[in-house]
Amino acid sequence: MNLTDHPLVTDGHALDRRRLLGGLIAGAGLAAAAPRAFAQTAPALERGRLVVVFLRGAYDGLSALVPWSDPDYTRLRPTIAVATPDGTTATAIELDRRFALHPALAPLLPMWNDGSLAVVPAAGSPNRTRSHFEAQYHWETGLPGQSSGSPGWLNRLAAIDPARSGAPRLIGVGEANPHILSGPMRARLIPRGQAATRAGVIGNDGTRDALLDLYSGDDRLSRAFRQGVESRLMTSKELAAEMAAADNGAGSPAGLARDAQQLAALMRADATLRIGFLSAGGWDTHVNQGTATGLLATRLASLAAALVQLRSGFDRPGDLVLVFSEFGRTSAENGSRGTDHGRGNAMWMIGREVAGGRVHGHWEGLAPGNLNEGRDLPVLHDFRAVIAQPLARIFRLPENRLADLFPGAAWDASLDGLVRRS
Amino acid sequence: MLMLMLGLPDATRLASAAAPSTPALTEPQAIWRAASRLGYWPSEQQVAAIRAHPGGPRGWALDEVDRAFEASLQPARIPEQLSQVTAPLPEVFAEVRREREARLRADNAAAAGTTDTGRPQAVATPALQAPTAQPPSFVRTSAQQAAAWRMLSCSDPSVENPLLSRLTEFWFNHLNVFVGRATVRPFTGHYAVHAIRPNVLGRFEDLLLASARHPAMLFYLDQNQNVAEGTPGARGAVRGLNENYARELMELHTLGVDGGYTQQDVRELARVLTGWTVDPTAPSGFRFAPRLHDGGEKTVLGRRFGGPGSAQGEREGVEAIALLASRPATARRLALRLARFFVADEPPRALVDRLAAVYLAGNGDLRGVMRQLVASPEFWDPANELFKTPYDFACSALGASARTAAAGNAAAAPARPPAIGLALGFLAAAGQPVNGWQTPDGYGTDAATWLSPESLTRRADLAAALARGMDEPEQLLGFYDERTRERIRKVPTAARAALALAAPDFMRK
Repeated sequence: MNLTDHPLVTDGHALDRRRLLGGLIAGAGLAAAAPRAFAQTAPALERGRLVVVFLRGAYDGLSALVPWSDPDYTRLRPTIAVATPDGTTATAIELDRRFALHPALAPLLPMWNDGSLAVVPAAGSPNRTRSHFEAQYHWETGLPGQSSGSPGWLNRLAAIDPARSGAPRLIGVGEANPHILSGPMRARLIPRGQAATRAGVIGNDGTRDALLDLYSGDDRLSRAFRQGVESRLMTSKELAAEMAAADNGAGSPAGLARDAQQLAALMRADATLRIGFLSAGGWDTHVNQGTATGLLATRLASLAAALVQLRSGFDRPGDLVLVFSEFGRTSAENGSRGTDHGRGNAMWMIGREVAGGRVHGHWEGLAPGNLNEGRDLPVLHDFRAVIAQPLARIFRLPENRLADLFPGAAWDASLDGLVRRS
Repeated sequence: MLMLMLGLPDATRLASAAAPSTPALTEPQAIWRAASRLGYWPSEQQVAAIRAHPGGPRGWALDEVDRAFEASLQPARIPEQLSQVTAPLPEVFAEVRREREARLRADNAAAAGTTDTGRPQAVATPALQAPTAQPPSFVRTSAQQAAAWRMLSCSDPSVENPLLSRLTEFWFNHLNVFVGRATVRPFTGHYAVHAIRPNVLGRFEDLLLASARHPAMLFYLDQNQNVAEGTPGARGAVRGLNENYARELMELHTLGVDGGYTQQDVRELARVLTGWTVDPTAPSGFRFAPRLHDGGEKTVLGRRFGGPGSAQGEREGVEAIALLASRPATARRLALRLARFFVADEPPRALVDRLAAVYLAGNGDLRGVMRQLVASPEFWDPANELFKTPYDFACSALGASARTAAAGNAAAAPARPPAIGLALGFLAAAGQPVNGWQTPDGYGTDAATWLSPESLTRRADLAAALARGMDEPEQLLGFYDERTRERIRKVPTAARAALALAAPDFMRK
C-alpha cells in the first residue's frame, strides 16, 4: 500500500510512462488490473462512459433553445428574446418548426445535423424549491426533496454497475469535492488549469518519502494523502503527455473547454475512469443577460467550445455527455432585463447512442395557461427519467438497478425514443 | 522561549473543560485548538498568553472575545501599501467611472482607427498586447490589495487581532460577495473592512444592515436594479422588481431555506426593498431613492409594510431586516453555521440550541453568542475535530513561517508580498480563491468540502515554498504527536520546517 515500497519515479522524464502507470496501479493495489484486461475484450457498449456537465446557477434554457415560432416568447421577453431566425449570425439558428439554437451555440450545429445531439426542452426536478443550493443538492443526489446524508448519484452509479469486474471509476475536474461524486467510491479530483499538470514537491524522491513517512498511519487523513500522491503522480504524467499531444502547437483552450480537454485526456489515459464530472458557474443572469451578444452569449459560447471538445474526446460507442442545470429561469424577463429563478429547463445529451437531431419529450408552449405558477416553464419530465434513458443503455442497467439509483423515479415511456435502439 | 514549548507536560488535563466521561484535551492540545480556531495558528505570543492566563485556555478564550470586540471598534491597521482597500467610497466610484470612460475612449479611438484604414490595426488590438503592457488599473489594484489584506490580517497578529480576523472571514463568507463580478470588484476590500469587520461582535441586525447598504452587496445581488414595477427606465424602457437580493437575504443571510417563507414572501420583500440603491457621491455609497420605491402595501412573513399605520419608505426595509434578524429560524441558522465553523462539521444539537437561545435572548448580540461558544464544553471536546480549509492552511502556514524578526512589527509585515502572493496562488488552485466564491452561499468549511487526496498533497507545495528561510520549527513540533516529531527530526535540519508545515498535525485545527 505504501508508495515508499515502490520508488518508481526516480527521474520522471526518463521513465517509460506505461511502465510507471502499470507499476503504480499494481503496486498500489488499486482494483484496476482486472477491469483493464476486461475492457480490452468486452463489447464496446460495456465500456460506456458518462460525462456530466453541470451548469450551476440555472442557465436560461429559453435563450439556448429558443421556441422561436411561439408568439408568447417575444411577448414575455420584449428586450431579451433572441431574434427570430433569419439566417444571419445576430438571430437564432433554426432547428425545426418550433425551436432554434442561440447563435453562440452555432458550434453545436454539426452535432445536431449528424444526429448526436438531442434535447429535452422541459425537464426538471419534481421538487419545487427555487433555491439554487437546495436544488443543486437534489440534482446531485438524485433524491429531490431530501436535504442531507446521501452520496452523489454518480458515486452510487459507480457502485452498482452490473459489469461485475469492470466497475467504472470516477473523476472530476475543477471543483474541490463536488457532491455528485461524493460517497463510498473513491473519486479522482483534479484542479482546474495548469496546477493539475505539476507533480510539485512530491515529484522529488526524498521529499515524497519523508511526507509518506509522516502520513503512514491508518487514519483518514493519511489514507487520503497516500491516495493523493499516487493519483497526482499519474495525473501530472498523463496530462503532460496528453496535453502536449492534444495542444499540437495550437495553444490551450480556456475555461470550461480546458477542463473538458483535461478530462478527456485523463479518461483516455486510464480506461477504468468511465464517469466524469465538469461544472461551470456564472449562469444566474438576473440582470442585463443580453440577447445574441452579451453576458449570457459569452457563457454559451464557452459552453459550446467545451461541448465540441467533449464531442471529439468522447466519440466511442457508449460514450454519453449530459448537460443540465438545477432549474430553469422565468419565462418572462424581469424588471432589469434578466430572468429570475424558474422551474423546467432544457437538458442536453450528446453521444452516438442518442437519437439526436430531434427535440424529445413534451412541449406545451409559453401560453399563460401552460406556465407553472403563471411564470415558469413547467417540469414535464423528471430529470431522473431523462437520465435513466441513456444510462440504461450505456451501462446496461436493468430496471431494478435504475430503481436503486433513483428511488422514487418512474420510467418515462414518452422518452423511449431518446436513445437509438439499433 | 522556544525551549519552553518542549517541556510542556502532556499529561496536564483541562479537567473542567469537557464532560467528565470523555478524556479531556491535554494542555498543548487545548492551546493548539484555542489558537488555531480563534485565530489561525499558535504564535509564540499567543501561546505565552494562554499559558500565563489564570483561567487556562478557556479563560483566555473568553478574554480573547472581548479583545476582538475592542479591536473591532478601532480602525483596521492597514499598511500604506494596501491603502486602496480603505479608500473613501466616492473616490472609488470616481475612479471606476474614470477608468470606464478611458476604456470607452480607447475603444472609440480603436474603432475610428479601423475605419480610417479600412482594416483592423494591430496596435490597437488589446489581445496582442502583453499583460504587462496594461496600464495600472485602480479597480484591479483594489481587488489585489483586498486579497492581500485578507492574507496579511489573518497571518500577522501585530496587524489584526486573530479572532477578529477569523470572525471577519466567517461573516464575510456568510454575507458573501464575489470579486469576479466587475461592478463588485473595487468594493470587496472596503466591504470586508467597513461593513463586516466593525460589526462581527455587535448585533447581527446591524451587520446585516451594513451589508445591505454596501455597494458591494447592492451590486452583487442586483439590489440596485430592484425598483417598483413600472418605473420608467432609460430610452423608454420600463423597469421593475428584481428578487435576487430579497431571496438570498431570506434563504442564506437569515432564515435558511426551510425557514418558513414562500415565493410570495420573496416577491413582497423585494417590493419592500425597492429604492435601496448605490449612491456614487455619498460617503456611505448608499441612498434610498423614493422615486424607485413601491409605495403600496406589502406583507412579509405576515407583517404589513407600507400601509396605513405601518412603516413607510426606507423604514420598511430597515424593519424588514430587523424582523428577519429576530426570527428563531435565523437564530438557529446562525448558531448552526457558527458551531460548524468553530466546533465540528456536525456540531452537537445541544450546543446549537444553546447558541440560538443566547442569540434570541440577547437580541442578536453576537458577542454573547461567541462567549457562550468558547465557554462551551463542546468547543473543548476532543471528539469535535476540525480539518483546516485551504484558507486556514494558507493563513496558518503564512503566519507560522514568518521570520521572527518580522513578527511584532507591522511595518515589516507587508515586506512579505512574495509569500502572500504564493498563498493567494495556492488558494486559487485549491478552489478557495480569496473573495472569489461566485455564489452567495459562501464557501463550505467542512472536511467533506475540502479533504480530497490530490489537493491535500498540494498543501506540501505551499509548505515547501513558505518554509524557505524559516527558523527551525521547534515551536510547532512541541504541539505535535510524538511520532510526527520523531519522523521530522530524522530529516536534515534544512528540510524540517517544510515538513512541519506539511505534517498531518498541521492540517487540524
